[in-house]
Amino acid sequence: MARFLLAAAGVALLGAAPQRAPLPTYSAAYEPRTVDERGMWMEADEQERRLRDSPLVIRDEGLNRYVRGVLCRTVGEERCNTVRIYVMEVPAFNAMMAPNGSMTVWSGLLLRVQNEGELGAVLGHEFAHFELRHSLRGFKKKRTASDVGAWVAVLGGLANTDTSFIQLALIGSMFKFDREQEQAADLLALQYLDRSPYPSSAASELWQHVMGEADATAVGRGRKPKQRYTAGFFDTHPTELNRALTLGALAAKSGHGGDAAATAYRAAIAPYLPLFLKGQVGLNDFGGSEYILSLLAKNSGWNGDLLFARGELYRLRGNPRDLVSAAQFYGEAIKSGYSAPEVHRNLGLSLLRSGRGADAKAALTEYLRLKPDAADAKTISSLMQN
Amino acid sequence: MRKLVIAVTLLAALGTGPALANSLVSPGPRGKIARSNMSVSPAGEWNRLSLKAGKNVEVWTLDGPELNKVTFYGGIAVGQPLVREVNKKNAPLPRVSANMLITDIPAILETTYRAQFNASQITIDSQEPTVVSGHKGIAFTYFYVRPDDEVQRKGEAVGAVVGDRLYLVTYEAPAIHFFDKDESKFRQLAATLKF
Amino acid sequence: MTAGAFLRAGLVAVAISVAAPAVAQEKTGTKPGFNLKPGAARIVLMRPSVHVGAQSTGGMYEPNADWTARARDHITITLKEMQATLGNEVVIYEEGPGPDAALATQYGNLFGTLADSVIEYQFFKGNRLPTKKRHKKDFDWSLGTGMAGLPALRGADYALFVNTYDAYGSLGRKALQVVGLLAGVPVTSGEHRGYAGLVDLRTGELVWLNADRRMGGDVRDKDGAEKRVRQLLEGFPGRPPAQPIQPARGEKGS
Repeated sequence: MARFLLAAAGVALLGAAPQRAPLPTYSAAYEPRTVDERGMWMEADEQERRLRDSPLVIRDEGLNRYVRGVLCRTVGEERCNTVRIYVMEVPAFNAMMAPNGSMTVWSGLLLRVQNEGELGAVLGHEFAHFELRHSLRGFKKKRTASDVGAWVAVLGGLANTDTSFIQLALIGSMFKFDREQEQAADLLALQYLDRSPYPSSAASELWQHVMGEADATAVGRGRKPKQRYTAGFFDTHPTELNRALTLGALAAKSGHGGDAAATAYRAAIAPYLPLFLKGQVGLNDFGGSEYILSLLAKNSGWNGDLLFARGELYRLRGNPRDLVSAAQFYGEAIKSGYSAPEVHRNLGLSLLRSGRGADAKAALTEYLRLKPDAADAKTISSLMQN
Repeated sequence: MRKLVIAVTLLAALGTGPALANSLVSPGPRGKIARSNMSVSPAGEWNRLSLKAGKNVEVWTLDGPELNKVTFYGGIAVGQPLVREVNKKNAPLPRVSANMLITDIPAILETTYRAQFNASQITIDSQEPTVVSGHKGIAFTYFYVRPDDEVQRKGEAVGAVVGDRLYLVTYEAPAIHFFDKDESKFRQLAATLKF
Repeated sequence: MTAGAFLRAGLVAVAISVAAPAVAQEKTGTKPGFNLKPGAARIVLMRPSVHVGAQSTGGMYEPNADWTARARDHITITLKEMQATLGNEVVIYEEGPGPDAALATQYGNLFGTLADSVIEYQFFKGNRLPTKKRHKKDFDWSLGTGMAGLPALRGADYALFVNTYDAYGSLGRKALQVVGLLAGVPVTSGEHRGYAGLVDLRTGELVWLNADRRMGGDVRDKDGAEKRVRQLLEGFPGRPPAQPIQPARGEKGS
């Protein structure tokens, strides 16, 4: 199936046929058939049972309904209506779909996508893995590779030869197969987008942001940015640059436009933004976090939530110049109408560490005035007496 | 390549082989904790784990570290992370800085847990100024969930920055039953803490 | 230390780590002086964690839904029957939705952590804690009394937790094991471990835990599952000797 799709997409890319390739027929009530498949469904059911009661799941009907709506608008009602969605408080870029039809979306994904179109592209990609039943194919291929690997190790013991290279090559074949699956899923997801209200360029734009963030993280950690043109040996996913280029070219070919619904997305996510930003700032990834903040600000302007988070980011890094910047961002947040009392607290603490005792005292006093029974009120008072 | 394979095999063997034994902590004064000038005087018996989470880190437990765990950070120097970094390249840890305020002590613990243990849910609860071994310090409580076992845990800690070193002692246990069961034993340790 | 000496030391370590699992694979702990309450005890069986699958030649675990479902049924029925002959009534935990389900899951998570700690830090040497070694006869572990408040546990005396993990060596894995023997590369085939624990809901104490890292009994058929349950229940606490065993009320062989 995956190979077929690749071939089909290849034809489309060459411009042979202007009309859209038909979506594969979807059977909603699919039941697992083989021993392997039933086993994987059972494990997925067990995991979903745990997920249902997990403390990491954000239990909010509104958020859940919204994410489901984006999925439904992307893949269509027929495909989406049996999917269960779980949004988890994990600040990394990921979403996955289990073979039994449960979909897990991490909060880090919701922070990174800029509009419904981009979110739809990712959810559609995961749904495509599910529709193509990739986890089963990956499982079979992995078993074969690990079987061969085990024999090579033992036979190597018999012959007393170095088998490590062969083993590495076998491991490589496992990852390469996954890469093919990723490409197939990308292409099917693009087909969904072509039928959705969202523009087909959303997927490519998202991968450009992913590259930008990875480079920013690297630079922030004193490494060289590197977006590679070919997939590395251990890369499960197609290299992002390839992905962005291929998806971009395919989108241009399809020419399917639409409204990516950025304003609606920002409004829906706004109540959760402080929580998501707190998780991101805590990752200790200065460059990547700064990139995400700038991207969000590019679309919505520097609002109070973003300015406060930026202040937190700089204050946590805590170099003398960072503390000056942090105080400035907190100040701007206050000016823009940000009203959480903590902004005064953290402004005060930054000023205190910069040696500006009088200004610090004013800010901390304001914090205690706004939140007299704060859990750290005594601590803050004690700092003011120093 | 061959050398690498041998090294990996050795590491695997050492990892699964008999570890250095955990040792008994008897009641009474005990110094040089976490290879530092930290000392406490436990009223009852504890176990000191052989695991090394960092150069100046020592872990004690009563029933196993997942059920009750006291971690001593014995004077972590400016520029050092609280615990040894397991993935320096991709998950570097925050470091102790020279002008830390007492409110930055819970903050560095929180960021360390987020970065090193993927604790995506961690909340600092109460914070109170206190005096630790004659130094101005902070006592605080927190909650967190690690994604590997999804057990909700509570934490309580006391810490202070003295000169250019951070001293911190934390107590962590599952929120159900265990935290309350052993909290007084931790408080007894904290009350005799000297550095 | 030269590289050669280091290598030799490493090989010794390998030899030790391969030889070590041969001893003490099974262990039972009971709270000293504990006896089941007189009369028929009502025991709630928490949802058993049962995983049955195959181990591929490469050692990968392949979950098998049919085997697991069969094993879960066999184990549940056998447990009920065996406890009935002891005069105890086993009821299956009924989970309701809502916040109670989340709390029950927290207790399940905590029990898993507790059992792992008993096994790792008291039962088997290596990581055993000195305080647990010195008080070897003691068995002092608890989940606290809060668990009895779960609606599904009201009126019950004890909660029973069962956990089994089986990976049967595939034909390929077994062949690999034989060749490995010749080649001097140790290969294990199959993995069978499990534990069962009983919590006294009145006190919250773990009154009995039995853990086995190498279990027998093929859980995929009824006879094998019976053997497994007998192993899992080894050392299950009894009643005070004077207490006559009452006939079970529960129907047999259901």
